[in-house]
Amino acid sequence: MSDPRRPPITRREAVVRLSSATLAAAAVGAGTLGFLDRRVAVAAGAEIRDWRVAPPPGTPPAAAARGGTPSENVRRAVAALGGIERFVRPGETVLLKPNVGWDRLPEQAANTDPQVVAELVRLCKGAGAKRVLVADISCNDPARCFSRSGVLAAAGEAGAEVLDARKLPLVAANLTGAASGLEVIAPLLAADKVINVPVAKHHSLSRVTLGMKNWFGVLGRGRNRLHQDIDRCIAELGATFRPTLTVIDATRVLLDNGPQGGSLDDVKAVGAVLAGTDPVLCDAWGAIQLGVDPRSLGFVAEAEKRGLGRGDPRLVKELGKA
Amino acid sequence: MSATRLTRILWQVVFLGLFLWLLWRLAEGDPRDYPYPLLHQLDPLSAAGVAAAAGTLPRALAWAGLLLVLTLVFGRFFCGWICPLGTLQQLASFLLSPRSRRESLQVNRWRPWYAIKTYLLAGLLGAALAGTLQTGLLDPLSLAARGLGAGLWPLLPGGRAVPGGWLAAALLLAVLLASRFIPRLFCRAFCPLGALLGVFGRFALFRIERGGSSCSDCQLCRFACQGADEPLGDHRPAECHVCLNCLDQCPEGALAYRFLGRASPDPARPDLSRRYLVGSFLGGLLSAPLLRAAGGGRGTARAELIRPPGALPESRFLDRCVKCSLCQQACPTGAIQPAVAQAGVEGFWTPVVVPRRGGCEFACTRCGEACPTGAIAALAPVRKTGYDGRPPVRIGTAFVDRGRCLPWSMGVPCIVCEEMCPTDPKAIWLDRVEEPGREGRVARLQRPRVEPARCVGCGLCENRCPVGEEAAIRVTSVGETRDPLNRMLLGPPA
Repeated sequence: MSDPRRPPITRREAVVRLSSATLAAAAVGAGTLGFLDRRVAVAAGAEIRDWRVAPPPGTPPAAAARGGTPSENVRRAVAALGGIERFVRPGETVLLKPNVGWDRLPEQAANTDPQVVAELVRLCKGAGAKRVLVADISCNDPARCFSRSGVLAAAGEAGAEVLDARKLPLVAANLTGAASGLEVIAPLLAADKVINVPVAKHHSLSRVTLGMKNWFGVLGRGRNRLHQDIDRCIAELGATFRPTLTVIDATRVLLDNGPQGGSLDDVKAVGAVLAGTDPVLCDAWGAIQLGVDPRSLGFVAEAEKRGLGRGDPRLVKELGKA
Repeated sequence: MSATRLTRILWQVVFLGLFLWLLWRLAEGDPRDYPYPLLHQLDPLSAAGVAAAAGTLPRALAWAGLLLVLTLVFGRFFCGWICPLGTLQQLASFLLSPRSRRESLQVNRWRPWYAIKTYLLAGLLGAALAGTLQTGLLDPLSLAARGLGAGLWPLLPGGRAVPGGWLAAALLLAVLLASRFIPRLFCRAFCPLGALLGVFGRFALFRIERGGSSCSDCQLCRFACQGADEPLGDHRPAECHVCLNCLDQCPEGALAYRFLGRASPDPARPDLSRRYLVGSFLGGLLSAPLLRAAGGGRGTARAELIRPPGALPESRFLDRCVKCSLCQQACPTGAIQPAVAQAGVEGFWTPVVVPRRGGCEFACTRCGEACPTGAIAALAPVRKTGYDGRPPVRIGTAFVDRGRCLPWSMGVPCIVCEEMCPTDPKAIWLDRVEEPGREGRVARLQRPRVEPARCVGCGLCENRCPVGEEAAIRVTSVGETRDPLNRMLLGPPA
């Protein structure tokens, strides 16, 4: 190798070149191994938590208050379950899911009454909740729905963050059955506690829409195919989303042309609010406020069959008028 | 001819032959399980692009790292010894341009604008990082396979022209013709893979070394230099293809390819403007949202965007597809075609199924086997057909156009779509009716109806429908397994 025409390179240069090549090779190796199958091709859906709180013995599974203002009714009904402190701990993030589906005024009873939502916000804040979020994916333009329903103003004033439905991030969740593959609003999955706050309304397919049907509003694009087998799908949603509380707004109920309504002739002032931990029982009570026998509802039967609760309205503690 | 040169040419012939032979066997439908995507899986440009776009390196591309390490040792030997497009250009240069020595010296000089390839690399990697993978447009392996497979091959007797194929052919021919004027112009100035290898080639431990005392500055080494890397002057290892022609040419034996050979006085890094480099990287980053917006975004499903069976969800698919056209070669019916407009601007030349050209054979999984990056997952036939007990892999759903269908609208008996339907039980069933026809005659007809829950979207019905140009039963992408949001039907109970 000792060719007089080619004197060897200096030791220093050899060391520099060998080490830089080795470093580069190490970087290639590290990059290859670091990125190798780092992500699976298809990500698994996020877990949906169980937000329920075990009730102490002796408390009723649901309580209904009537006669007072919407706020008073909410307070009395929740108090009868042992008070909000039983359900919401200081520092927690609570998500309220009202029905704000439509560009309608409170008098038209197509959306949850703003005072019911606002009172729940105040209760949660009073119990020390760090954040109270209000979210729904409306059917009409969300800006119009939240503004005209009065929910944006009332809940905002009470201290809630009312989330803009147009900007709600959607994520894949491990939904099963009919809703499998659909996306769910991300703040719901991150919340510590969840309160479902539907309004009692007529519905042309499921006959009535109440608590379990209200979960449609946390689902993204594609949820409209769930109407193909509505009773089964409502029960499946009830099995998937297990809220801390269900609060049914029957301040005004919509008896016909649901779920949008429009005419005040279809609205009946009932002046009642129910709070409960058994979602099937809550829906059964709501049906009665609409003049519908819960035993005749397919989704109540489907939900009972799945063991999600008991649709027997006699189990509701009626607090009567204030 | 020296033994070195002969050996190199032999290597080039072997790898070009392997490339063409695999492409040929793939297109011929050879049932043997050859490693069809082998060369494409060694491609570090694809590996880097997919890793940047998808945030993960598919296992199949891991060996590309080895090629980079070998480049650190030997320089850009891939360009001079292996790359089929390089070999084709060298051949074109040899066949198309008898050059005088003076001309040869002229065309093999290094030129500053050869740095374009590195700017292209920066732009393509920037775009990949921002989420749109476009390396395949210029990747030499993709470019060659696509130009041959989609562009030139179909022009042989018995072939069928491919939409968008002419452009793939034109690009390949332009690359080859350019060698008439400057040998390997594409490699020198435009190849992003060459640029990537050049980044590593500058560290090469083996390199061309000039023995100063014996060199007579005769310039003969430049005569056949493939990379225009100036073996005589400040040798540029980042440009050198390691073809070793210079050694062969040197009458004094002054040049050697040696381990830890002395570097030329200048460290000879690629001559780059930092400003251009950063600019092209940022340009690439910004082009991603533009390309996406120009195609209408990835979010919405499109009726005609039917991807091959096993294709990943659209966004992940686009993060992995290197537009190599191997799936298209693999498809026995010609159903898979390069997209022209179906997949938006960023999806140009990605594969789509066009049922009117070919149906997706029920148990065939060749496209997934040929895919080098896993953009189309390799499915087991029992998985695709659903014979393993789970739902079959669907790529769309068929819809009857009752206005065009013979028994539905013309009173003419026909059952071809039902006959072709491969699922068990058939997704297409026949509704038997008697219909009063013209002048009181009663027609006994069997009207095809689709049970969408059973349809896999294979398009065999659309392909064989006797109603000419536009079939009376047509597939759109709704119901495809890969996109849970592009569905119309409710799933089974939980």
